[in-house]
Amino acid sequence: MRVAIAEDAVLLREGLSRVLVDAGFDVIGQCGDAEDLLLKVRSYPLDVVIVDIRLPPTHSDEGLRAALQIRAAHPHVGVLVLSQYVEIGLAMKLLADSAEGVGYLLKDRISDIDDFLSAVRRVAEGGSALDPIIVSTLLSRHRADDPLDRLTPREREVLVLMAEGGSNQGIANSLVITLRAVEKYVSSIFGKLGIPSTGSESRRVLAVLAFLRS
Amino acid sequence: MASAVAPAPGFRIARGPPSPLGLLLVAAAALAAPVYTASLTVARDDISGMHVALLHWISAPYVVVGLIAWWRRPESRLGLLMVAAGFAIGISTLQLAESDLFVTAGAAFDLVPAALFLHLFLAFPDGRLETRIERVTVGTAYAVAIGPQLAKMSLGALGPDTQLVLWLRPGAAEVVEQVQLVSLSAALLVGAGMLAIRRRREGTPRRRPLALLVDLFTLALLLSAALFLVGAFGPLEPAFGPLQRVTLAVIGLCPFVFLIGLLDARLARSAVGPLIIDLRADLAPADLRTAVAQALRDPSVTLAYWLPDFQRYVDLDGRPVDVSDHDHRATTAIDRDGVPVAVLLHDRSLEDERDLLAAVSAAAGIALENARLHAELKARVEELRGSRRRVIEAGRRERQRLERNLHDGAQQRLIALSLRLSLLENGLRGDPAARESVGQARREIALSLEELRDVAHGIHPAVLSGHGLEVALESVVARAPFPVRVQVDLAGRLHESLEVAAYYVVSESLSNTAKHAQATSATVVVGLRHDQVVVEVVDDGVGGADTEGGTGLRGLADRVEAVGGRLRVWTPSGGGTRVRAEMPCA
Repeated sequence: MRVAIAEDAVLLREGLSRVLVDAGFDVIGQCGDAEDLLLKVRSYPLDVVIVDIRLPPTHSDEGLRAALQIRAAHPHVGVLVLSQYVEIGLAMKLLADSAEGVGYLLKDRISDIDDFLSAVRRVAEGGSALDPIIVSTLLSRHRADDPLDRLTPREREVLVLMAEGGSNQGIANSLVITLRAVEKYVSSIFGKLGIPSTGSESRRVLAVLAFLRS
Repeated sequence: MASAVAPAPGFRIARGPPSPLGLLLVAAAALAAPVYTASLTVARDDISGMHVALLHWISAPYVVVGLIAWWRRPESRLGLLMVAAGFAIGISTLQLAESDLFVTAGAAFDLVPAALFLHLFLAFPDGRLETRIERVTVGTAYAVAIGPQLAKMSLGALGPDTQLVLWLRPGAAEVVEQVQLVSLSAALLVGAGMLAIRRRREGTPRRRPLALLVDLFTLALLLSAALFLVGAFGPLEPAFGPLQRVTLAVIGLCPFVFLIGLLDARLARSAVGPLIIDLRADLAPADLRTAVAQALRDPSVTLAYWLPDFQRYVDLDGRPVDVSDHDHRATTAIDRDGVPVAVLLHDRSLEDERDLLAAVSAAAGIALENARLHAELKARVEELRGSRRRVIEAGRRERQRLERNLHDGAQQRLIALSLRLSLLENGLRGDPAARESVGQARREIALSLEELRDVAHGIHPAVLSGHGLEVALESVVARAPFPVRVQVDLAGRLHESLEVAAYYVVSESLSNTAKHAQATSATVVVGLRHDQVVVEVVDDGVGGADTEGGTGLRGLADRVEAVGGRLRVWTPSGGGTRVRAEMPCA
């Protein structure tokens, strides 16, 4: 898989690149700013880019703007945004149109190398990866007469993994259960929460998020 | 700071008043001719009594009022100009005498009074012609009144009997006269135009008799111009006689109005009495200006107070005032024991009434000192407000810098370190004990990172600087343990100090609600109303929030006030809580 990285902290960029190369990724570009990243995206056929949300020169919104631009102009390139804070507002901006081929993770997640690599692969293949903090923040909210209270603990675990962008197979692997069991839990959750069932795994991310934010 | 230095009040060194004997002599000389011609009117039937009376109606008052003005304000040339105008009219009446010499002298002076009136009107009120165009116009009028007059007399325009006739050519004389009258009326019209412009420009209400006087001058110049035009092209028109009489009557009114103006100033001095009574009755600083304006009979009066600590003049609200001299305003400094207290900004026409200004200044002394202290207090409050704003702004920048340092420094290094440990961990597959201890270290780092992230976010919410209020509020709202409806209507980014204040209004209010209100829902509305950012947080909880104790709401109010805004809280017991911040955008 071909990947480009935009990260202005050299130490981190090198480390990230090494992890990816070791895992068999083809690191096409290591960029220090958004301009360079956009150039690489235009010049090479890439599967996924990894972007730090704070990039030079102003370290305000350059990374996010580059990510949105790539999503609009190159929909087949997956975009994984890394940040030292996770903000729900930014997640919503990134997922405004679709959750396909997009990820938004806390930078700390890099050091859980296996989980991180599987998130990169998922995004590269058109899936999604949302940081657990976002999902847990949204889940922590209490509603009067909360339909979430009707979920069993297992169903809750499946809901979280679903919201984070997990595929059915991925959820089955994490929870060490069969694929058929996951499918059963998913349809039961949708039934209890009243979410219309959607075919695609990335489309159901949006549906679950919409439910959690409502 | 040149502009802050007190301008020297415009006192001119006054020449002493002319001696009474001198005045009498001038009066006698100036009135000799009119008296002589008056006696002729009685003796002869061929002279119109009406016409002569009108001429005297002008000459005598101008001489008398001019002498009074000269005596009262010797430093102004205006009095002398008035005497000269009266004098010139008197001499021109000598045309009616029987002696050739007198007739010639009178005829030579026939039009000089017109130029003198123009000079006098334009030089009002201080006797000086201020602009070049005024000087050129008046100079032209003099030249046209005298030069062509002598020329046409030498051509015999006034009959063969007059002296000076060199070459009898009545036809040419008539042409010269037409050119002369047209030129003169043109100069008079220009003068009238300049008076009208001056009156418009000085939009501030001048004292009333003075305004009336300037209007009268303009009217007199217009009538004279019309009279000369009729004289040039149709001296036999039936309108000529009445027009001449009206013109003379209006010109003759001027000295009387002028005299009223002088008396008005004298009467004004007696208004100092009521001012003192007003001041005794504990005059509020705000009413002092009105009282002084009434005493000076100049509604345009303003006061500026000197603040030695700030080295500048301010108004009653402590705002800086420019007291440097400009065209239409004059300044009078008021001192107390040699220390400047205030400056009166008033109409230039008051400059000649130094004793009135001095009396009013003295009477207002204590009240002025009070008002000065009031202004000083206001200025200090304004200064404090500014320094509080700067302190909070500096704090905000410092927090922003700290967060940035943490983000680029410690946090980044810890993440990189954690990644290295992770790689190390992967390489230690053969040594479970070492692998376990490296894993332990990595989890410690993860905890440190989490704590550091909370600290950094608490110092400054970076998402606010990068992405604005609406995005930043999403996480704040999501963390609330109850549903919150959010509506943000902003036309773009606000100044960062406003965004930070609005952010904390929402986050603090929601966290107060979560802690104390037992609310089931809340609403957050952020919008613009009349150049103000309005932030409103409403919950449906138990109300009765503590607005005094604790630091929560007080701290919020400080933040909002530091950006010039206002925080209000409604929290009736059992009726929910509404927190509303209004902050100016400018």
